[in-house]
Amino acid sequence: MTGGFLSNEDRILGDAFLKDGYVIRAVEDRAALDRIQARMAELAASQLKLDPPNDPKAFLDDIHDHVAPDKLNAFRLAMIAGINNETWFRRAYYGLAEKALASLVGNELAMQRRANLSIQLPGDESSLLPAHTDTWAGDSPFEVVVWLPLVDCRATKSMFILPPAANAKAAGKLSSYNDKGVEALYRDFESDMRFLAVDYGQYLLFDQNLIHGNRVNVEKTTRWTFNCRFKGLFTPYADKRLGEFFEPITMRPQTRLGLAYKLPEGFDE
Amino acid sequence: MSEPARAGYRGYIGSRPILGNRTPQAVQNLVIRDYCQRNNLTYLLAAAEYMMPHCYMMLNEVLAELPRLKGIVCYTLFMLPDSPEQRREVYRRVLEAKATLHAALEGQVLRTPDDVGRVEDIWLVQQALAHSPKTL
Repeated sequence: MTGGFLSNEDRILGDAFLKDGYVIRAVEDRAALDRIQARMAELAASQLKLDPPNDPKAFLDDIHDHVAPDKLNAFRLAMIAGINNETWFRRAYYGLAEKALASLVGNELAMQRRANLSIQLPGDESSLLPAHTDTWAGDSPFEVVVWLPLVDCRATKSMFILPPAANAKAAGKLSSYNDKGVEALYRDFESDMRFLAVDYGQYLLFDQNLIHGNRVNVEKTTRWTFNCRFKGLFTPYADKRLGEFFEPITMRPQTRLGLAYKLPEGFDE
Repeated sequence: MSEPARAGYRGYIGSRPILGNRTPQAVQNLVIRDYCQRNNLTYLLAAAEYMMPHCYMMLNEVLAELPRLKGIVCYTLFMLPDSPEQRREVYRRVLEAKATLHAALEGQVLRTPDDVGRVEDIWLVQQALAHSPKTL
């Protein structure tokens, strides 16, 4: 990366992000993560009219014992509504990757108003996200995703991503897949796709301009992952607008002063 | 041997303006979810069409999924391709898969070949309106 103004730490992280299109790191606030996981397990138990679990991670891993695929989306939406109603949740989520976000995106940020949740039961084909980039579907290319597992996510229980070099090739010939579909694109680039191993206690921060998605979870346990987007407050917005989708979270004092400033008036020729 | 059970109805939303208007994806999802609730349809996570003009990759993806679905619920009829030939190909694939195509905003359903004419009438008039006077 250019710029002798960056700290060595920022430069190392930035180089890794530019090379791979993602970084996987330990969360910066483990207590906040444990609180989120515990609350999600409580919400799930409550929704399913079960006793609160003693072991949240094991309970979430085995949620397929209690939720049928045809009830999954309604259950997932109830979970999203429940956790987003917690006033502490978004601050806690941001705190998990606060330093990395400042380093890779900036220190004046907009955050997605409602974090999204993916629950993928073993063998379930109904909640798949085929190969895509968020930017193609209306997100700004200036956004990153902080992807947070509540259970250990590996192989098909995790997500895949196409690294930058292969992604450039795939995106360059995307229109040739208009009729064949993105499944054909996935197959053509399958050997380049990386399934990311992200365990509980870690987050994945990735460039959503890169092709990514998931496959049928053929592991034995259920995937639970949040995804939440962040961007520089003053970088361009696309279809996901400020106010309806994003909200400023770290506006700095001089920006407030500048936004409120008015030049003196009343001069006449 | 009996056919495997089909899942519910796949939502189909857009990320580019439709007829010059932009509707947030969250609102499109709400309209589809409400339509599914009122009509007792099992709603499946929506596919969002890409923002590149004339791109229908997500629609093609959902059409390919039809053998495992009961149908598609799109936000509006006018998300379908502008080309009449491409629209008729969509209808053909839906009917051939013994599925149904719903447009949540208009409350229109395509269940049989007889429905194609009615849906196309709406489409063709809408396209002609683009050349009609805009003021009352």
